[in-house]
Amino acid sequence: MDLGFYHRQMLSVFLALAFLAPAWPALEYANSQALTEQLAGLARQEPNLVRVRELARSREKRPVWLVDIGIGSDENRSTRPAVLVVAGIEGNDLVGPFTARAWIERLMKQYREDPPTAELLKKTTIYVVPCLNPDALERFFASPRIEGGGNNVPRDDDHDGLVDEDPCEDLNGDGLITMMRVEDKEGEYILDPNEKRLLLKADPLQGEKGSWKLLPEGIDNDHDKRWNEDGPGGGNFNRSFPHNYQYFTAEAGVLPISQAETRALADFVVAHPNIGIILTYGAADNLRKTPRAAKPPGRAAVDERDVGYYETFGKLYRKAIGLGKEMETLSEPGTFSDWMYFQRGRLSLAVRPWDVALARELSEPSKEKASTAEDKKEGAPTDPNASKTDKKPAKKEDKRDEDERKELKWFDEHAPEAFIPWQAVEHPDFKGQRVEVGGYRPFALANPPAPMLAEVAAKQGDFLMELARRLPRIGIGKIECHVLADSVYGIEIHVVNTGFLPTVLAHGETTQEVYPTRLILDLEPACFLAGARTTFLPTIAGSGGTAKARFTIHVAHGQEIHFKVVSMLGGQAEGTIPLLQAAENK
Amino acid sequence: MTRRIGGASPTLQKANAMTSRPGIRVGVIASMLTCWLWSAAWGGQPGATDPAEGTLPALGASFPIKVEVAWNRFHDHAGLGSILARLHEAFPDLTKLYSIGKSTEGRDLWCLEVTARKVGNPDRKPGMYIDGNIHGNEVQAAEVVDYTAWYLCHQYGRIDRVTALLDNDVFYLVPMVNPDGRDRWLRDCNGAMSSRGGSAPTDNDRDGVADEDDCEDLNGDGCITQMRIKDPQGRWKRHPDYPEYLMVRAKPDEPGEYTLLGWEGIDNDGDGRVNEDGKGGYDMNRNYPYDWRPPYIQYGARDYPLSQPETRAVADFVLAHPNIAAAQCYHNSGGMILRGPGREGGTMKSADERLLEIIGARGERILPYYRSIITWKDLYTTWGDEDTWLYGGRGILAYTDEMWTERNLYKGDKAPSNEDEAEFLKQVLLGDGVVPWKPYNHPTYGAIEIGGSKKEWGRTPPSFLLEEELHRNMAFTLYHAGTLPRLRISDLAVTPLGGNLFKVWVTVENQRMMPTRTAQDVDHQISPPDIVSIQGDSVRVLSSGRVTDRFFQRAEAVEYRPQRVELETISGMEAVRVQFILQGSGPFTVTVDSARGGLLHKDASLP
Repeated sequence: MDLGFYHRQMLSVFLALAFLAPAWPALEYANSQALTEQLAGLARQEPNLVRVRELARSREKRPVWLVDIGIGSDENRSTRPAVLVVAGIEGNDLVGPFTARAWIERLMKQYREDPPTAELLKKTTIYVVPCLNPDALERFFASPRIEGGGNNVPRDDDHDGLVDEDPCEDLNGDGLITMMRVEDKEGEYILDPNEKRLLLKADPLQGEKGSWKLLPEGIDNDHDKRWNEDGPGGGNFNRSFPHNYQYFTAEAGVLPISQAETRALADFVVAHPNIGIILTYGAADNLRKTPRAAKPPGRAAVDERDVGYYETFGKLYRKAIGLGKEMETLSEPGTFSDWMYFQRGRLSLAVRPWDVALARELSEPSKEKASTAEDKKEGAPTDPNASKTDKKPAKKEDKRDEDERKELKWFDEHAPEAFIPWQAVEHPDFKGQRVEVGGYRPFALANPPAPMLAEVAAKQGDFLMELARRLPRIGIGKIECHVLADSVYGIEIHVVNTGFLPTVLAHGETTQEVYPTRLILDLEPACFLAGARTTFLPTIAGSGGTAKARFTIHVAHGQEIHFKVVSMLGGQAEGTIPLLQAAENK
Repeated sequence: MTRRIGGASPTLQKANAMTSRPGIRVGVIASMLTCWLWSAAWGGQPGATDPAEGTLPALGASFPIKVEVAWNRFHDHAGLGSILARLHEAFPDLTKLYSIGKSTEGRDLWCLEVTARKVGNPDRKPGMYIDGNIHGNEVQAAEVVDYTAWYLCHQYGRIDRVTALLDNDVFYLVPMVNPDGRDRWLRDCNGAMSSRGGSAPTDNDRDGVADEDDCEDLNGDGCITQMRIKDPQGRWKRHPDYPEYLMVRAKPDEPGEYTLLGWEGIDNDGDGRVNEDGKGGYDMNRNYPYDWRPPYIQYGARDYPLSQPETRAVADFVLAHPNIAAAQCYHNSGGMILRGPGREGGTMKSADERLLEIIGARGERILPYYRSIITWKDLYTTWGDEDTWLYGGRGILAYTDEMWTERNLYKGDKAPSNEDEAEFLKQVLLGDGVVPWKPYNHPTYGAIEIGGSKKEWGRTPPSFLLEEELHRNMAFTLYHAGTLPRLRISDLAVTPLGGNLFKVWVTVENQRMMPTRTAQDVDHQISPPDIVSIQGDSVRVLSSGRVTDRFFQRAEAVEYRPQRVELETISGMEAVRVQFILQGSGPFTVTVDSARGGLLHKDASLP
């Protein structure tokens, strides 16, 4: 396929979203160039609200954009409660960038049309990284189209001293890298008796002997009798963060946070400690199901004092996307999301925005029904149909591959072009053998078919709108002032959290990465008979939780005392103690 | 404060600007002519001639010396850079000078590459990486690296072992990983422990402001020392025998004289605490990526592994030099040859530990009063330190050498008592090393006294022991470097099998103790395998493989690509044999390609 052809199509995306397009057409999604133009267009429309700046340059010199939505100066924006949304951090994520961009448009629209949203955006900052890995995204638009996790940093995947010497090839000329199956007596696979398009691992315990090999599409370029084992492609950005980093695994890369893109993201969150909620699109998910909790927190288990917040956000999420029950999810090592919670102490949500298991559940809900499922205690059996990982063969009926068969059936009914039928090819490495190329289209398993994209993005957007409303938000409650004697005052200041999250999560306290809220009185140290200029307040619970600080001060009559409350995640507030009035009121 | 004598000559300054190399300081030597005339006229006195003429050099670091350096002092970043620049000028065939990155404050992280550049390919020789001074206050840890460069350059061609090292191996010498901390420690007022970390601002007291309450030299004596206040309820008193040198706790039933108030300084930010948020506040030797833990578990780890430009530069450099097989990271103090792991249960393969033990045991003999020990077990737990990453993450045999021990004061294996140290200060240093207590009027504490140890005392050797410290530590590291793998194709035997068929046996010998790939390297496939290959225009390789029994002539057959045989490792002091079954005639070349063992070729011919 000709790249220029795609490029011309991309430019037309602004004007018309093609509704008649087949599933996974390139033109539904934006490549790096188109995304750049789209974002620039948005910033032009609402320059006071939306700012776009380059966070980093990718390895292949594409810009990684950061969109910053809010009002006022940089300093205002960087001291307000903030949400960060990161998409396109995993190489096969197309729906995340689409969703992120759609949400920015929606925020802009609501800012104009919906006063509560406008109010919210005046006191909140939204940071969006629509696509952290533009180099990987570009592979969707390349020919042949190939799905992969990382960027193209060279790596000797098969440890033979040669680098990137055996990539995939498009054998059948369809512009897609899929799979190939080779009829071979030494193969480990058999055809699934119930669905000949699928293959099953032969089970020697059942007397089965394999007759097919299943390999990625391509030839053995380096003649090592392994096929396509060392193509271009480095580690997955979203496996390279330091919590539970899996050293020496292919996905993790050679070093944690080693690429310009990941480093820029890490430096950005370090420089913006006001970010209180993070949402990352990728393979891991902690919203379809409440994550495990433990004390102390484990590798994947959140602090038991924080799990309630995760549970609440999970319920909001399932409601937003119309999921009536919890579903099994994956956690992955070394994710950006886990780093932000486990090492940086922020509420960090991970979302797998679409997969066929979710699509099946949403289009044909399983028998265990919605209304009750939400209230079930943890540990209750979950729907086995929903579990992709549960592949234990049943004893009598051959249930192997049942989930895969159902998934394929779903695709047949909703997007039949997702599965490329097996097609015989001549293969130079397997002369005289039957070789077929086919299988799922690249990117089809992680991204919804085109007709569903808008709806997926809209539902995700519904949930994203909830996040900004649930940040911690610091305010000043009542101020008590008593005259104790001439020019000696007893003062009590109440600081209140009108938001939903606490000013510091339990794990924010443990990691010490979220600083305690400070109350600072604008008075000389000598004025304090009791108390001090700076008071560190305990964590303030959300939904109206209060912290108090008491002072005895010695100042002249009539002096107003200004004070400031600074919360890392909950914003800042200023107040004044009107001493004169207090004296007169005595 | 170091004081510069003279400046760079105009020509050198120009060269300097063009090559962006460290400045070369040309000391302007005072005219001695006048002195000579004056003394000659009077007679009866020795002539004030150049005393270097007519000397017999003592053993160890012999003349002629092309680059004069006084090794009994500490140089700043510019000074150490200038030594490297002069060495590079004097020894262009042995050195290459470049910067591997910039510090937080923009200082270059200099690297002098030392090898016989005209003997073999410098980039393919087994590499020894040596750095120092990642902790800014640990100053002799950089001098030793410059000393190593100076020694290697001058002794090449003179001492056989040095010649062999530079012919076969390459040294990457990075004296200062933390030049910001070093210069701050040397130039500004400091205590023995201050300026350890990097210089990026850090909010230690979490009050929203970074680095706002550091120590101060209140009395302007150039030193940050201690504050004490006379206090009838205090629990400290002066030592009866060494009142100027030592404070001791009063006995439980005895009244004290003083309360100790900590390091010299004031409460700059008015928060009721003194010196609680000084410059920086993190530890770059906890910022390496293997077994890294965040700051709430490991103090000073910073936000993520390799977050700092200095550590990132070192890691990038090591990754870019896959020939590095061994490493030394210099620190002070304690007289410890430390090896990993940094934590209980951390990575250490027994075969690799055995080698580190053997080399470390030799180090204990080269370095009297030093102990060769394991970090977590014998010192304390560390997460994310450099040698743990070098070994665990890269399979490189690395040590952390903690230079200088107070056991050297009185030459014994037992640590000297406080009284012994006070005695040394008083009678050997004649009082140099402490600042006498003097009264001071402090804004918070009122009438206090300021005094105590100088920053140099405790962690650095006195001038007359410094040179010994540099030489012995270098000698240990050169012994370590001497164990780097050294490969040789010691035999290439061609046996005719009839017709145009031949059997070729290639014997590859490792003449040193270190394997080409350590057990950790092999286990995690860090380096590529060692590859023995064969090529000839009229030669076809029918089969190949490792010889498993040379006496019974057993050999394996590789599954594919018979022109190359992959070897896991070539063990120390051993040989591997590889068999090729060839068809054809004429010349062929055998190549041994080992990332850490080097690149070897040998030509031969089929009859």
